[in-house]
Amino acid sequence: MANHFAETAIEPRIESGNPFSGVRLSGVIGTVIVVAGSVPMVAPFLWMFTTSLTSGARAFDLPPNWFPKDWHFQNFLTLFQSNVPFATFLWNSFEVAGTVTLAQLLTCSMAGYAFAHVRFRGRNGLFALLLTSLMMPMQVTIVPLFLMMSSLGLVDTHWAIILPLATNAFGIFMMRQFFLTVPRELVEAARIDGATQFATFWRIALPLAKPALASLGIITFVNTWNSYFLPLVFLNSWEKMTLPLGMFALSNVYGGGNVSVIMAAVVLAICPLLVLFLVAQRYIISGMVGSAIKG
Amino acid sequence: MRKAVSEKLAGYCFVGPSLVGYLAFVVGPLIAAIGLSFTHYDVLSPPRLNGFGNYARLIADPRLATVYRNTAFFALASVSLTVSLGVLLAVAVNQRLPGPLKYALRTAYFFPVLVGMIYAAMVWKFLFNRDLGVVNYYLHFFQVPPIAWLTSSNWALWSVILVYVWKNVGFTMLTTLAGLQNISREIYEAARIDGAMPVTAFFRITIPLLTPVLLFNVTITSINTLQEFDSIVALTNGGPGDASRSVVMYLYDKAFRSFDMGYASAIAVTLFGFIGLLTLLQLWGSRRWVHYG
Repeated sequence: MANHFAETAIEPRIESGNPFSGVRLSGVIGTVIVVAGSVPMVAPFLWMFTTSLTSGARAFDLPPNWFPKDWHFQNFLTLFQSNVPFATFLWNSFEVAGTVTLAQLLTCSMAGYAFAHVRFRGRNGLFALLLTSLMMPMQVTIVPLFLMMSSLGLVDTHWAIILPLATNAFGIFMMRQFFLTVPRELVEAARIDGATQFATFWRIALPLAKPALASLGIITFVNTWNSYFLPLVFLNSWEKMTLPLGMFALSNVYGGGNVSVIMAAVVLAICPLLVLFLVAQRYIISGMVGSAIKG
Repeated sequence: MRKAVSEKLAGYCFVGPSLVGYLAFVVGPLIAAIGLSFTHYDVLSPPRLNGFGNYARLIADPRLATVYRNTAFFALASVSLTVSLGVLLAVAVNQRLPGPLKYALRTAYFFPVLVGMIYAAMVWKFLFNRDLGVVNYYLHFFQVPPIAWLTSSNWALWSVILVYVWKNVGFTMLTTLAGLQNISREIYEAARIDGAMPVTAFFRITIPLLTPVLLFNVTITSINTLQEFDSIVALTNGGPGDASRSVVMYLYDKAFRSFDMGYASAIAVTLFGFIGLLTLLQLWGSRRWVHYG
């Protein structure tokens, strides 16, 4: 289902009867609108990239520089040589986002499989209950969560962020929707041949779910990589901070003084996402957009 | 031994980890938050019951009214703009375009969705600078006097809204596009044979058949905007004064700056109630305007 969706999302169908593609004039107007609209979408990234390669003194030139003139790579070196442990932030973000992603792939695919193919009492009620947490902002529960982590001695450790994110209702929903497309006969045949539930899940269902797992994994990684609120609440020592939190500290250390160094840091924080997006665009879009259609 | 495990038990084992997480990190804390909202708790001394004391304070707190007004305005403006611009862009792009152009457009519009709000806001903070910022520089060609985007109480909230729309319009655009492509061409064919004008077809066919996607976009965007925190912290830090402070920022300040945990929990309970009410309202309203064809 997710795969089929990716195809349609990426290839707009041409409808001779559709008034908005059939009429040539509206086609031209449409093209002008989307192309013109893409300028403000891209411009901030271009400014960011150019500024990261400009000496701090010229960062606020007006008219703005849209293309780097002097290739000032020093800004990137400054990041790793300053008192702010930038490399540590990067590593912490990889560690937290990677662990959360692996945990969610396991917990969400197991729960999604059970909600699709295993019969047990209270299955539908439980599923509906889990989905209600989609509506609930993390901030509603943050005070008790903080008190809980603090009594467990987990404040200022990565566990305080990893544990609450180790499972996720959106991921369970997404995996269940995928497993519903796996034919029931396939699962039952494996069971009749004597495979245990777990073996059926692990050897038959999970290998089929690779595209859905890729989508979920990327979305989870990106969300965790970007998350600011939980780290802000739980992490307070430099050695433990993740990138978004540390970056904000960085921008305070440098004040408004060196925009270029701050932009260099943003470039490094965004780069992994750009690479991921260019490589796996179809999984990201089908995962995020597909839920709108099937939901 | 595994073979002896009954199907039922297997089901519970599969959902077990998720269920434990849900109980420990969602249900448990929610109940605890409700309990704490009836106490005075400053972390140093143990919580002390004070009945409806926190709720009485809520009603009398003028700052709470301000942050709720800001949040509602931010949510309403962001929802209308992201959802309607999403429709406009989806309709505009739903045509035969050269492959590379299509790829470039999709990347340009969707990439900001993936970029962390905190990073996006850090970049926009410089672009919005009153005297040296790029936005005001280009506006001056249109005879617009310099705008204090982040530091004037008239514009601070609008800056947050603009950045939100900029970051998220690619998402509503692609969901709407997918919805457009699910509408079968026969319906348009039939309408054209019946002599319907393109504009009529748009309002009588396209929009009604898009309503499930529109409902999805409205729901997702309102949930996201009601909990927006990162962009406001990075752009305006809630200022000037409380001009752009949101409910969750106020909650955070009360809990982790003033260590007024009981009062913060009471704010959390109102937010929970507010979102619950809004969800019910949307479900109820959707019966009236959403067509599942």
